Amino acid sequence: MFEGSAEVRRVVALAGEEASRVGHRYVGPEHLLLGMLREDRSGAARVLQAEGVDLEAARAAVGRLAAQGVVPGPRPSDAELLSRLGIELDAVRRDAEQAFGIQRLGWAIREATRARRRGIGRVAHTPLEGPPLLAAHALMLARERATAFGHEAVGSELLLGVLDDITTRPPRCMSNRWVRRLHASVGLPDDYRGAAGPLLAALGVDLERLHAATVAALGETVA
Amino acid sequence: MSEAAPQQGDPGGGGDRQPGPQVGLAAVAALRGLVEVLEALQVENARAKGWSWQRIAARLGVTKQAVHHKYAGRRFLFGR
Repeated sequence: MFEGSAEVRRVVALAGEEASRVGHRYVGPEHLLLGMLREDRSGAARVLQAEGVDLEAARAAVGRLAAQGVVPGPRPSDAELLSRLGIELDAVRRDAEQAFGIQRLGWAIREATRARRRGIGRVAHTPLEGPPLLAAHALMLARERATAFGHEAVGSELLLGVLDDITTRPPRCMSNRWVRRLHASVGLPDDYRGAAGPLLAALGVDLERLHAATVAALGETVA
Repeated sequence: MSEAAPQQGDPGGGGDRQPGPQVGLAAVAALRGLVEVLEALQVENARAKGWSWQRIAARLGVTKQAVHHKYAGRRFLFGR
């Protein structure tokens, strides 16, 4: 999905950690910003720090957004919910992996969550996979930027993708009933389009300046 | 956001003794997610072992048509 860019994979993994830290069961553009700040060797982190954004301030701002209801408040994880019913999620996962192998388990997860016309019994999300990454548009824009710059893989362009995502309307195909159902399953409103904009606004960042700084930093790396 | 964080005294969140609807419903949703994956795994395994839809359906406790409607035409991972 990320065209093998190690940096983006690390950022996404760190974003997942940041999301579960605040009890969010999805990973959105706002968490990607936190992930970029965690990955402090990256160009994106340097640009953000130069604009006066640091990790602690950004974490605090996410907390404020949750209090204002812009992003959801903490929700129990699937493992916690299932253990209330006496089911140990890790044990189920281990058993399924041992009995059928990781490849078939992956197939079954895709099968159970795939959007299909006759979607009988299908679910938006299963506890056996990680939190859904709800940043398809930002990643698409990042990929477009990387292609335009002639880069093989998406790296610091991820920040540009997130910034472009704030100001650009996603194509209509990115909002359908499967996406809305996925949003509902993690406690987001139907029309959730990422909270990176409110997060940067809460941090007092000027979007246009940050955008220009990011492009400039990328220009330096290209040269 | 229509759904706020479970707070103290929130009838939806509930205490530890008796979980409220908010937690109970979310647990059911998680359970359903688990069930669908395990069912797909088991049906695929049975088909790979040459079981008929009829036999799978009987074991699942549904009609042959139901299981066929749900899984027929899926690209199973036969023979790896």
